[in-house]
This record gives sequence, C-alpha cells and structure tokens, in this order.
Amino acid sequence: MNDIASAKVLEYKGKTLNFTPEDPAEAKIPSDELHEHLQKPSTARTKRLKERCRWKHASAGEFIEKSVTAGIERMRYLTEAHKASEGQPEVIRRALGLANVLNKSTLVLQEDEFIVGYHAEDPNMFPLYPELSHMAVQDYLRSDYSPQPADEAAAINDYWKPHSLQSKCQPYFDPADLGRMYQVSSMEAPPFASGYNSIVPPYETVLEDGLLARIKLAEKHIAEAQADMSTFPWNGTKGLDNIAKIDHWKAMVIACKAVISWARRQGRLCRIVAENFETDPKRQAELLEVADICHRVPAEPCKGLKDAMQAKFFTFLICHAIERYASGYAQKEDTLLWPYYKASVIDKKFQPMDHMGAVELVEMERLKISEHGAGKSRAYREIFPGSNDLFILTVGGTNAKGEDACNDMTDAILEATKRIRTAEPSIVFRYSKKSREKTLRWVFECIRDGLGYPSIKHDEIGTAQMKEYAKFSLNGNGATDEEAHNWVNVLCMSPGLHGRRKTQKTRSEGGSSVFPAKVLEITLNDGYDWSYADMQLGPKTGELSSLKTFEDIWEAFRKQYQYAINLGISTKDVSRYFEQRYLQLPFVSAIDDGCMEFGMDACALSEQPNAWHNEVSTVVAANSLVAIKKLVFEEKKYTLEQLSQALKANWEGFEEMRVDFKRAPKWGNDDEYADSIVSRFYEEVIGGELRKITNYSGAPVLPTGQAVGLYMEVGSRMGPTPDGRFGGEAADDGGISPYMGTDKKGPTAVLRSVSKVQKNQKANLLNQRLSVPIMRSKHGFEIWNAYMKTWHELNIDHVQFNVVSTDEMRAAQREPEKHSDLIVRVSGYSARFVDLPTYGQNTIIARQEQDFSASDLEFLNVEI
Amino acid sequence: MEAEKSLQNQPYTEVGTAKPCRICKWQTPDPTDPHRGQCTANRHAMGGVWKRWLRDVENTTCSRHEEGKLSFRDHV
Repeated sequence: MNDIASAKVLEYKGKTLNFTPEDPAEAKIPSDELHEHLQKPSTARTKRLKERCRWKHASAGEFIEKSVTAGIERMRYLTEAHKASEGQPEVIRRALGLANVLNKSTLVLQEDEFIVGYHAEDPNMFPLYPELSHMAVQDYLRSDYSPQPADEAAAINDYWKPHSLQSKCQPYFDPADLGRMYQVSSMEAPPFASGYNSIVPPYETVLEDGLLARIKLAEKHIAEAQADMSTFPWNGTKGLDNIAKIDHWKAMVIACKAVISWARRQGRLCRIVAENFETDPKRQAELLEVADICHRVPAEPCKGLKDAMQAKFFTFLICHAIERYASGYAQKEDTLLWPYYKASVIDKKFQPMDHMGAVELVEMERLKISEHGAGKSRAYREIFPGSNDLFILTVGGTNAKGEDACNDMTDAILEATKRIRTAEPSIVFRYSKKSREKTLRWVFECIRDGLGYPSIKHDEIGTAQMKEYAKFSLNGNGATDEEAHNWVNVLCMSPGLHGRRKTQKTRSEGGSSVFPAKVLEITLNDGYDWSYADMQLGPKTGELSSLKTFEDIWEAFRKQYQYAINLGISTKDVSRYFEQRYLQLPFVSAIDDGCMEFGMDACALSEQPNAWHNEVSTVVAANSLVAIKKLVFEEKKYTLEQLSQALKANWEGFEEMRVDFKRAPKWGNDDEYADSIVSRFYEEVIGGELRKITNYSGAPVLPTGQAVGLYMEVGSRMGPTPDGRFGGEAADDGGISPYMGTDKKGPTAVLRSVSKVQKNQKANLLNQRLSVPIMRSKHGFEIWNAYMKTWHELNIDHVQFNVVSTDEMRAAQREPEKHSDLIVRVSGYSARFVDLPTYGQNTIIARQEQDFSASDLEFLNVEI
Repeated sequence: MEAEKSLQNQPYTEVGTAKPCRICKWQTPDPTDPHRGQCTANRHAMGGVWKRWLRDVENTTCSRHEEGKLSFRDHV
C-alpha cells in the first residue's frame, strides 16, 4: 500500500514539484481506502436516502441485490387495455394502454422522499415490456426475478407474441442473418429482438407549457382538421390526411390527461399520508407541499425549482419506463433548470431556497435515478455491469449565442454530484474555451474524486455536427445555426439535439453496434466463427490461402464489415417502420412541438437526422492489422498460415511468436507506423464504409466508438487475435482508446495519436487513467486544465478519466464489503467497482495509469 | 493454461441428457435467445474467460458438467 503523500518529485522549468495532497488531511488516509472518505451529503436526509437506496445494479446478466424482481402491473394493465381496444386505431390503443397503466398501477411513496413517483408497484421492482421482445420477457420468466404470478406473466407474454415488435419485424429478414445477430459477437442484436431503446424527451415543453396547454393545443388542431374536412370544395388528395392526424391528436389528449391524473393521484397519496399517518409535523408539512406540487405539475407550467424537478421526474418516468422502455437520462439539465433556479434561489419569487437547497434537490434526484430499475434484456444486463442502466445528462457548453452556457445551476449539479457520490446518473460536460473556471473547478473536483465523470465532449465538434446533419433534414427543418448549440449526449457518447422539437425519439435512429475485432477474426477464416459459435457468421470472403497481400485482407475485411453494418442498420430502420405503426408514443408526441404541429407520431417524424452506429473493439482489430502488416507482409517473419495455427492453439506452443505480435507497434504511442494504418482504418473503412449507408432520416450513418461493457462480452466471445491477445481476453475499452496497458509513452502521446483520426467520425470514446497523487496534489487542477486545453486544440472529440489507484481496487477485490463507495469509469458510464465481475475489475486495473513527465508538462504548456 | 480439450470436455449434443448445460454452473444464458446459452468453462490462466455458444442448452452436455450457479463475480 502506498501513501498518497509519498508521490514522486518532478523537476520542471527549474522548479521542484512535490505532489503532496492539496488537502493536508488526506495525507493521513491510507491510499487503499481513500474513496470511502470522500462523500459529503449536504443534509442528514440525503445521507439517509443514500443509506437506504434500493440499488438495482446488474452484472453478468444478473441483478446483484436479491430483493430485486420484475413487477407485473405494467404488463397486466397494458395487456388488459390492448384486448379491450381491439378494432380502434393503433395509436389510440397505445394511448389507452398508457392510460390504463397509469390509472390502475399501485403508487409508491417512500420515507424522506421529496421527489416522488415510481414506475412499478414496489420500489424493488421494475416493469417489463412484452410488446417489444417476447424473447427478452421469456428470459425473465426463466430467471430468479420472474414477475409473479408466473402463470399470468407467461400468459401475457404468449398473448403478445404475434403483436410484439419482434414478431412484426422478423419475417423481413433471413433467419440465418438474425441468428448471427442474436449472438452479439460480431453484431449487436436488432432493437426488435432486444427491446433496447433510447430517447431525448422534450422536457422543455412540459416545464414551460404544462400538459393542460398541450391538451388545448391538440384539441385546437382536431377542431381545425375537422373544419378542414367539412370545407367546400372537398379535396380527397389532401383531406384524407386529416384522419391519421386526428387520431394522433386524440391519442395525445388521452395520454396527457392520463399523466395529469396519475400525477395528481400521487399528490393525493401524499396528502392522505400527511393527514392520516404521518406524525412528524415537519414531514407532514413537506408531504402537503409535495401534494400541492403534484397537483400543479406537470399539468401547469413550472414556477419554481421544486416544480421543475418534480415535473421533470414524472416526464422521465413516462418517457423512459412506462409508455415504452428507453435507456438514458438525456437532457441539458443546467439550461433546463436555470429559469427555475433563478426564480427560487436568486429572485426568491417561488419556492424560495438558497443554493444549498438546490444542491440537496439534485442529490435527491440522483438517488431517485440510482434506484430506478430497468426491465432491459439480458444482453443489456450484461453490457453495463455494475450499474442500473445508462443514465447520462449533459451540462456546460455554449448557448444559442455562442456564449458560455455554464451557470450556478451547473455548479449546483456538480457540487451535489461530488457530495453524494453515486455511479449514476453520469454527466457529460461540454468543454469550450469559454467555459468559466469556477465551473471547470467543479468538473475537476468530481473527476479527481474518482467518479469517472463528467466525461468531456468537445463543444465545437458537437455543434458543427448538428449543423452538418441538419443539411440532410427530410422536411428542411433541421437545426438552425443557433439550435445547433442545443445538444446533449443521447447516451454515452453521441450528440443529439435537445429542446422543444427535433430531438431523437428512438434508438432505431442512432445506436446499436458492430464489433470489428470479431469481424476481423472471421475475415481470417472465410467468414467462419471457429472460436465461439462454430458456424458461418458472415459471407465467404476467401480462404486464408487466397489472401496474398495485406490489401487482400483489408478488402476481405471491408466486405465482412459491409455485410455487418448493412444488416445492423436495415434492422433498425425496419424496427422504426413498425414502431410508428404499432408502438406509437402518444405522450412523447404530445410534448414535441413538431409532432404536435403535424399530427404525427414521434417515431415517424424526423426533422433532425442523427444517424450513428457504434463500433466496439476497433483498436484490437486495428492493432492486429498493424502486426500482420509488419510481421507477415513486410518483415515476412511468419506466414498467415503460421499465424492461423498459433491463433487456433491460443498461442500455446507459439510463445515466442506471440511475444513478437504483442510487441508489434500499438495504437496510442504516437508511433507513425501504427498510427498511419490505424487512422486509415478508422477513416476509410470504419467511417468511410458506414457513411455510404443512408438511414430512415436521410442522413449518412457515422461511427460512434463507445465500448460500454461490450468490450468484455465481445472479448469473451472471441478467440486470440494477432495483436497478441489471448482468447477470451477483453477487447479495447473505449472507442479510440489504446488497448489496456499498451499506451506506454505517456498521456500526451495518446493525445497525439488520437488527434490523427478526424474524418468520417461522429464520436469516439477516449478512456484515460490518471495518477491519483498528481491529480490530488495542489498542482492537479493546473495540470488537468492544461491537458484539457491541449486536448481541445488537438480537436479531439471526447475524453474521460479514472482517478483511482490499483491499491484501492485490489483492496476492494479482497474485501468488497468495505468498498461500497468505490466508483470507476468503465466506458461511457461509471459503476460501483465491487458490483463488477472480477473479469471486468481486472480490465480497469490493467489500464495504463498515466503519470506526467516533464516533457508531458512542457507539451501541455503547464504554468506552475 | 487452458484445460486440455477433448471431445468430452467441450459441449456436445446428447439428446435428452440428464446433465444438460442449462443447469450447469459454467453456463450462462444467451444474451438474446433464452433457448441458447453460453459455456464459460474455458478459463485462461491469464484471466480470459473464453465462451462457447450453446445451440441448445437442454440437449448439450460435457464431462465438466457441474450443477449449480456461479456468482456474478465469476462470470463476464
């Protein structure tokens, strides 16, 4: 075990730098338990809420807490409504289904809560979605956390089989292709098989207008459409369009009324408890205040910060968990809440409070998200190990005028985050040269406390991307130059618009994955997967003996990759075709200004394209290509046949050969040989081929490299690779990050390598692990700040940091019960370390811990 | 290093087997299709867990079959 205070000394610009802790008190804390000493909840209430938080982390496909189980109420009431509404327009059926769930479901109210609402009948439960994928529900029925009564759940799932999105989409594909996708080894399963989804809800309309105003708007449109239909002279080529529109507006009215009624029912519950059961006068008064808030919002516009937080949470529950499952927590939270922060904290006009009151509210919000349960499929319980789901919000950046968008709400969010220490929701900070230092300091404080977030996105790159995609808008109403600044990360990495309209409503627009390392593995075996499934996994692109040159391999890979991405994106678009016919989102449509204007469903209307597909394991593939080129085709030290033999033997009996392949140049060391091949691979193949595809929204699809926990799953479904990796070892953990432990030339060499990939990319995740003593020293902020400025100047899209020591991670492996507050960045999200499988924990430990040498500091131009 | 492979210690089809992979501790369900599975018995000394896909978890078995369930910590 090392002492934090015993860090190295560095000579820099004639000065001797000592990296002793900025807070001298930390010198007394053993380095292997540091993170158990960092939480500082702002109030006794949030401390209690954290202690009793009902975490629903999953790992290796299983829920960690034994008390967590699937609920039955949502599927029961949805099914009941579906049966009762046969013969009605599908969008009306969807609205009636939502209304039945909201009207009949059990409400949950927990001690100490101020933000109320839940999406299942018990706070240990989560809902299921048989209308999406019957396979995903079947998996739950066979698990320890099946909904009860199990017979009823099975009957419900059987009922949905012919009606589910899965059943609607499957007939349009070759079963062999689908079988390949379902394995999640070279491609992610299509959304209709997994039920996975994400969304950016237009929270702005709910907070600004209130749902009563949305109802009035829909009713006005219905009246106008009906008037149009009765106007002389009738024109059948246009008049009939009104029918579908009227149905959509009617469905919006049903959905909004149901949500208001549900929120008010929640308020009545608070009032009943306050007036009949609560004995503490303070809590009584608080419950009555919550009752009043729930009666007012989301029906009416929000007037203060408490209103806004509650209305936002209700909207989140509907959009992400009740109307349909959707991962994510996408919102520009500081911008969204700023008017209400101003009203309550600065002007004290409504729900007056001080800054710390706002901090407490954010802490409570974070804990609500921490106990949110997601009824996602097994694949997604595997690939976000140590977390509930992907909950990611965005702050910072620039506003529509191009000015710094940071405000005191930004700081309240970051301060609450640092104090309460939860793995979720994660935060993205849009870094701009205009970002104020006060806020940057909060960003740094969260990072150096080891939260693994905020992850940092380049503000200008994201804004330029919104402008570029707007050019492809099918209705000519993409983002304006001003609106292009209004972006958030949809999930971990990919920017998309936020606001009153034009936001992404379904993951069939952007999302899902392809795994280049596995694609390369089958490329070297004529499309056959010998290492996992023992079957043909892609087209036949040539026996090994026919691959005579490096370019032959390159082109064979290209064909395999084309097959995988074409299938991936066509399955998403087919999903979207059926989503808008059978899985309409009347509530989401009601709160989107575009859907409201046109009388269209949210899954159908596309104003701003946002087409992307995730590449996971690109660096293993790229490093393998580098090694093949060097050792087989240039140095001719080995033949492809010898390489194939060694791989089939998992390098056993070929140890020297493995060392050669392991030592071949690797990405991330500013090595021109490796970097030229790798950057060509990214720009010409990974991005270049992808952008040839046009998706539903009319835009070219671009790659978003983000590994999440897929790098573990893909690694375990893959044999050994020519980069020297053993079979079953994890793949690379970012999107453009060097393979773990191979970036030996320091942090600035990594930046120089990564900056060489610029063309044909949407986003690329860069995972870096920084030295704990340096970051916690009095020089930590200056070094990090200089690093960020250089990163920005090099035009790199993203970076995220782990600041956690190997000592502490090893200690947590030995005694997990003592390290519940140790959080690590996995990839695109953070996780509680002790909730990761040992396999995943070891991948975090294996990452290169970057020190800063004097030459690094010079490159960064650090002023100390 | 990885356990020596033979026909018997890798999953093979045995219709109606009394020791199906579905109840084996090394098995974990397929990520998408509940009728399929994944075998995790191949574990490398360097820490790799090299999975094998199981087409039919009811009618596949091998000599390493052990009834039970591993902790999430021992899976991927």
